[in-house]
Amino acid sequence: MDPSSSSIQEPFDLIRLSLSERVYIKLRGDREVTGVLHAYDGHMNLILSDVEETILIVDPDSATEAPVPVNVAKRKMDMLFVRGDGVILVSPPSRA
Amino acid sequence: MDSLIPFTTSGALVDCVDRKMLVILRDGRKLHGVLRSYDQFANLVLEDTYERIYHGNTFAQDWRGLYVIRGENVVLLGEIDLDVEDDVPLKEVDYQTLEPYCKLEAEKRKQRDDAKAQILFDQNGCSKEGGEGDGY
Amino acid sequence: MLIFSVFKTLTDQQVTVELKNDLSITGTLKSVDQFLNIRLDNIKVSDEARHPHMIAVKNCFIRGSVVRYVQLPADHVDTQLLEDATRRGDNSTKAIVLTLTIKNRNAETLKFHYG
Repeated sequence: MDPSSSSIQEPFDLIRLSLSERVYIKLRGDREVTGVLHAYDGHMNLILSDVEETILIVDPDSATEAPVPVNVAKRKMDMLFVRGDGVILVSPPSRA
Repeated sequence: MDSLIPFTTSGALVDCVDRKMLVILRDGRKLHGVLRSYDQFANLVLEDTYERIYHGNTFAQDWRGLYVIRGENVVLLGEIDLDVEDDVPLKEVDYQTLEPYCKLEAEKRKQRDDAKAQILFDQNGCSKEGGEGDGY
Repeated sequence: MLIFSVFKTLTDQQVTVELKNDLSITGTLKSVDQFLNIRLDNIKVSDEARHPHMIAVKNCFIRGSVVRYVQLPADHVDTQLLEDATRRGDNSTKAIVLTLTIKNRNAETLKFHYG
């Protein structure tokens, strides 16, 4: 790989370095996904494999006293396209 | 160049023209009508349009006429299978009768969603999807 | 353009499109355009009871902007190819389309594109 590609000059460079690694994505609408990143574009559209989605569920009807318990539902998918307009953040794997 | 036709907006819509279609809008409205025209933004012309509302196993429709629909408000454009349409296990009722039920249901759903969004925002800092009223 | 190309290579495959209104539609991908509008044929809506208006719909056009996810058939996506194309910041999508299309048709990778 060319040496300049490992330097970080703009936000997308950080995403590029996460290719083929497991990333955490926070999405609009109370959702999160983790998956192995294979492709992205300038809209932050993403293609991930081995995906686990976490959905936060609350039942406001039980909202008599705060805090209302927040439940999570999880779901697995093999290969997923995520539309960029729903992405809040992409978190690269931690490099210890 | 011929091979690229399926990969344009027109390529996807051309065979829907002059057919009975269902259009779902971003505010959740469902319109039935005959698609007469479209463009690259998926702006649509719908003729002889009826708005349909659903509640339980009933539906009702109200005549709306000719619509030009701005593309950004379109969620989905579905081709109605006329054979299946006759067998749909739903009962048509009077629009005026059904409308209050649907309004009440929509109102309840909105309250629930608002309450839910507020709880999640307070506890987790989650932001709502859509932003500009994607309540469809 | 890269993602557009990926979708083009997946035409005639089964995909599941999940919309931001939680409607989930499985069908055969018939067409896609530059806005990632999607045309699906022979559709099946999950939880049809909650969406009675969809019963009589067989084919549909979904506006790209309302899509949340598309579940893709994993065995028709060459992840290595995608990563390489993404790293290159690929604008010459022809190579990808050609390569992926041929790969999907006869399960052979064309190495000469990458040298």
